[in-house]
Order: sequence, then C-alpha cells, then structure tokens
Amino acid sequence: MIDERTEELASLHALDLLEGAELAAFETQLASDPQLQALVRELREAAAMLALTAPAAVPDAALKARVLQQIGQAQPRETGRNTILPFRLPTLIPWAAAAGFALVAAWLGQDLLATREEAANQRTEARLAQLVLRDTANRLEAERIVLNQQMDNSGRQLADTQRQLATTASEAAAANQRVAALNQQLKAEGDLAQFNISTLSSMLGNSPQAVAVAVWNPSRQEGLLAVEKLPALAQNQDYQLWVVDPKYQNPVNGGVFTVDANGVARVQFKADQPISAINAFAVTLERKGGVPKAEGPFVLLSH
Amino acid sequence: MALCYAYDSEMLLVPSCLPGSFAAYAIGSGGGHSPTKRMTDFTPSEEPGDRSRIDADLLQRVARGDRTAFTALYDRFSRPLYATALRILHDAREAEDIIQEVFLAMWEKAAVFEPGRGSAFSWAVTLTRNRAIDRIRMRKRRAELLTASSPEELGYASAGDEGDSADALSLKEKAVTVRAAVAALPADQQRALQLAFFSGLTQQEIADKLREPLGTIKARIRRGLLRLRDSLPQPS
Repeated sequence: MIDERTEELASLHALDLLEGAELAAFETQLASDPQLQALVRELREAAAMLALTAPAAVPDAALKARVLQQIGQAQPRETGRNTILPFRLPTLIPWAAAAGFALVAAWLGQDLLATREEAANQRTEARLAQLVLRDTANRLEAERIVLNQQMDNSGRQLADTQRQLATTASEAAAANQRVAALNQQLKAEGDLAQFNISTLSSMLGNSPQAVAVAVWNPSRQEGLLAVEKLPALAQNQDYQLWVVDPKYQNPVNGGVFTVDANGVARVQFKADQPISAINAFAVTLERKGGVPKAEGPFVLLSH
Repeated sequence: MALCYAYDSEMLLVPSCLPGSFAAYAIGSGGGHSPTKRMTDFTPSEEPGDRSRIDADLLQRVARGDRTAFTALYDRFSRPLYATALRILHDAREAEDIIQEVFLAMWEKAAVFEPGRGSAFSWAVTLTRNRAIDRIRMRKRRAELLTASSPEELGYASAGDEGDSADALSLKEKAVTVRAAVAALPADQQRALQLAFFSGLTQQEIADKLREPLGTIKARIRRGLLRLRDSLPQPS
C-alpha cells in the first residue's frame, strides 16, 4: 500500500519537480520498491500524455529533411542486441585478442566494482557518521536549551528569594518601628506614673463650686490645666497660674489665662523655671498680662 | 469527428465544438454526473497497447540502424513533440531546434531505451520536455514567457492543418481522448498540471504563481495525475 505522501512524491517525480535532497531520498526509496516503481511508471506515462494537450502544431516539412540528413551522417551509438555477425576464421585472432582484452577488462571491471563498492561503503559510513554527528549536535543543543531554561528558572527563583528577603527586611523594620513605638508607649506609660495630677479647689466665697485639675509632666516640663465654673473676668484682669516648687523661694509663674462665659478654660502651660518637685498649684487673680510675683487674691489652690 | 478543444483565458482545456453527447461526457465528472462511458470507448485506428508496442518495435529497429523505422517514428512522434516544445518555448525556431536534437538523440541512443521502464512515446516526451525546459531556463526568459498570451496569438496551427495519414489520425484520436480526460479534471488540478508540465517552474514557483500554499499545489498535482492515469488506458 502506497500512502498519500509517497503518491505525492511519485507524482512530482513523474513531472521532474523533485530536487535536491527530496529527489535523492525518493530515488533511494524507489530503487528498492517495485510497487513504487510501477506507480512512477504509470504516472510518467500519464504525465507524458499531457504533451497531447498542447495546441496542435505541425513542424516545417524541411525539419524532417534536416533530421534525416543529420542521421544519415551518424550511426546509432549502441547497436542492437539482436545483430548477428558472420563468423570467419581470419577474424579468429583479433577475436581471441579481443577476448583476452575482455578478460582483462572483466578483471579490471571486477576490481573497479569492488573499489566502487568500497567507496559506496565509505560513503555510507560517512553518511552514518554525519547522521551521528548531527544527532549529537541536536542532543547537545537540546541539553543547552534545557540548561538555559534551568538557569533562567534558578535566576527567577533567586530574584523571588531576594524579593522575599527585601519584604522580610521591610517587615522587620516595620516591626522594629512598632516595637520602638510600643517602647515609647511603655515609657510614656512609665512617665505617666511620674505625672503630677492635682485638684485645685475654690478659694472664693462667691464661687465655691469653681474647680480645676492640673496635670504636670515632669519629663517634658509642661502641664495642662482644666478649670470650670470660674467667675468671668473684668477686661483688665487675668487669671495667673503658679507652680509651687520648694526649690524656689517664690511660686514659679505658669502663665495667664481667661475663661469663657461658662467659666471654662483648657490651658497648656509651661513654668518660667525648671520644676523638679511640685508642692502645689495655685491660681491668683491678677491685672491684665500677669505679674512676676503673685499679688492678687488666691482663686484656686491644690491640696 | 468534429471534436476539438481550445484553451480558455486561463489556459485551461475546454471543449470548444463538442456535440451534445460528447460535451456531457467530457466534462461530466466536474458537474457531479459521473460519466458512464469510459475513455477507452473511443475506437482509434490503433488501440493504445498496439500503438505502444509499435512504437517500441520501431525504436528497437532504430537501435539497429534502421532508417526506415526512424522515418516512421519521426512521422508518428514529430507533431506531438513539436507541439510540446512549442507550447513550452513559444518560439517555432527554437522548437524545431529541440525536435532536431531530440530525434538525433533518439537515433543515437535508441539502444539504451528499455521498454520495461515506460513507453517509447513517454521517453521521447521526456527528452523533448527536458531539453525545452533547459533552454528556457538558460535563456532566462521564463518571466516573459509566462505572461505570453493565448496560443492563437502565438501562431499555433489549427488542428485542421494536420495531415491525414493513418498515424496522424491515430494521434488525433489519442489527443482527443487525453484532452477530454484533462478537461474533465477540476480546473485547479488542470492549472497545476499544465504549469507543472509546460512551464518549467519549480514546485514553489508554481505555488507562488497560483497564489496557493505549496502543500495545496502538491496535492492538486497528485490528485490530477492519478485521476489522469485512471482515465487513460495504460500502454502495455
């Protein structure tokens, strides 16, 4: 059974359209396949019939004369196999000589055939070697491609690992920041224990409900004062806060403030002098802008 | 018999003056109606097998130096071979040169012809075609030739100009059979085969010229040639 691909090659061969390696490969196959030979013969016959589809044309009559004249001057290169020549005795010697030459020629021919066979074998071996070489080259190329792919994969893995390391480092930094923040928070909470929180009570007979809370942060040397229900001030007056530190002979000025219509104030304050310990907070009523040393009446005083 | 073919604008063989019954026969398979009449129903003056045997016999006689046989062979082959060379070369003088070379080669090499490997006619066609294609490749005028116009414009003689010898009549009948078989092929297979046989183009060049993939062209050639083989009687 001849497959379609071989039929295709046989058709192209019948029309002399095969070339190069394709032709060589097909002729090798053809040489050992009688069925294929029969197919090619049939297709060549069919292809030759295409000549009859050419538009009818008659060659010049003079062409025939020229052709016949030309062959009149030439003999067929190889005479027919059926030619019988008469045997004559005088021709025996030349025939014997010819036979001798023929024997030598046969021996040489055999030698030549052997040489050709050897050459053919060598060509076959060379072809096989080429095939092996090509196979090896192909295998090496395949291995090279695989190695390249592996190297690419390793490179990608390395890059991934580096990215993961970078991510981990940034996460570690963030964690450190959080730890630092927590430490600060802990420290702050520790500082909070150091805070001085005092309640100030009213010293005024007309406003007994007035009250205030003072919170002092010794590490930052600042504090917060919240007051409620203090009487409203005249325009030329201010309330003034004092911090009583035993280190100083006089209370240290903590700044002036006013209250709103409801008698409320929230004041962040700093002392004029560094405070190391607090005995009490006091609020006095002073003239506008405050005074360096308490002069007015006490309004509030811590316990 | 008034049965003739012409090339249409695409160089396809089409029946140009078929009687009704033959027209249906010649193009039957293309329209989905399988012809019920086989190509071999023609009754040429020589059966295909006879013709092939006669050709082979003449060639063997030529191999022995028989000039009478050679003259007979010339009379049988010269017209189709010349028409082939002219179809390929589109030049009467060059076609005649080719024919002269081919017949001289047949005279000198008749002894190497092996009937078992094909018919004498096939051998002669191969000699002619190869020489003609070699010549167009040599003169590098393929591009001009491929754009050449219709056969009529190239000065082909009409079929009526042929002589009416027995050989000529037999050949005409054979040609009618072949042309009918080719005309019955699908147009794309006809085009591929005509270019493959007459143009001297390579497979790829045929594909380029027809603007089809190479695989399609190969398949068309295969199908067309197999179908042609099946349509034509094989020489014995």
